Amino acid sequence: MRTTAADVLLWVSVLNIWLAVAGFTRLRTALDRLHCVTFVNAAGGGALFFAVLAHDGFSVRLIKLGFLLLSALVGGAVLSHATGRALWIRERRP
Amino acid sequence: MSAWIVAFIALVPPLGMCAYHVLRGDTADRLVALELASAVGSLMLVLTSVGFDQPSFIDLALALSLLGLVGTLVFAQFLERWL
Repeated sequence: MRTTAADVLLWVSVLNIWLAVAGFTRLRTALDRLHCVTFVNAAGGGALFFAVLAHDGFSVRLIKLGFLLLSALVGGAVLSHATGRALWIRERRP
Repeated sequence: MSAWIVAFIALVPPLGMCAYHVLRGDTADRLVALELASAVGSLMLVLTSVGFDQPSFIDLALALSLLGLVGTLVFAQFLERWL
């Protein structure tokens, strides 16, 4: 049962990453494409976290993965802001 | 071959697509594609950690994620000021 849950969550994570990269290819501007990075971190990373939880249970690996996910979500927000600001300033430069 | 390794292989094309955009896109696209490649690459390292049952591999994912954050931030600052 746990293995099935882990497999389903794993493939949901892979599907989310494929979806994000397809969106990255489809969207036109770099500012739009920034949303795909957040989607990978939130949807792909979140599903992978729960897949590892179903596979391993509570373990050191899960704690490290949680820290990775947290840093990707918090740091990703900061990074999206910094990148968006840089692109916005760059687009409006004479 | 476990499902984790198959999932790792399934994520090679998305990473290749990110690499294509890093190599061929304009400067702004390169920055965003690099950010995406860093996110996908760190998740792929998590998959190898579980697939090969090597808990130490997850430290590489953590290091890549943290270094990717700092690297992209530096790139963004550089893009904003000088490029």
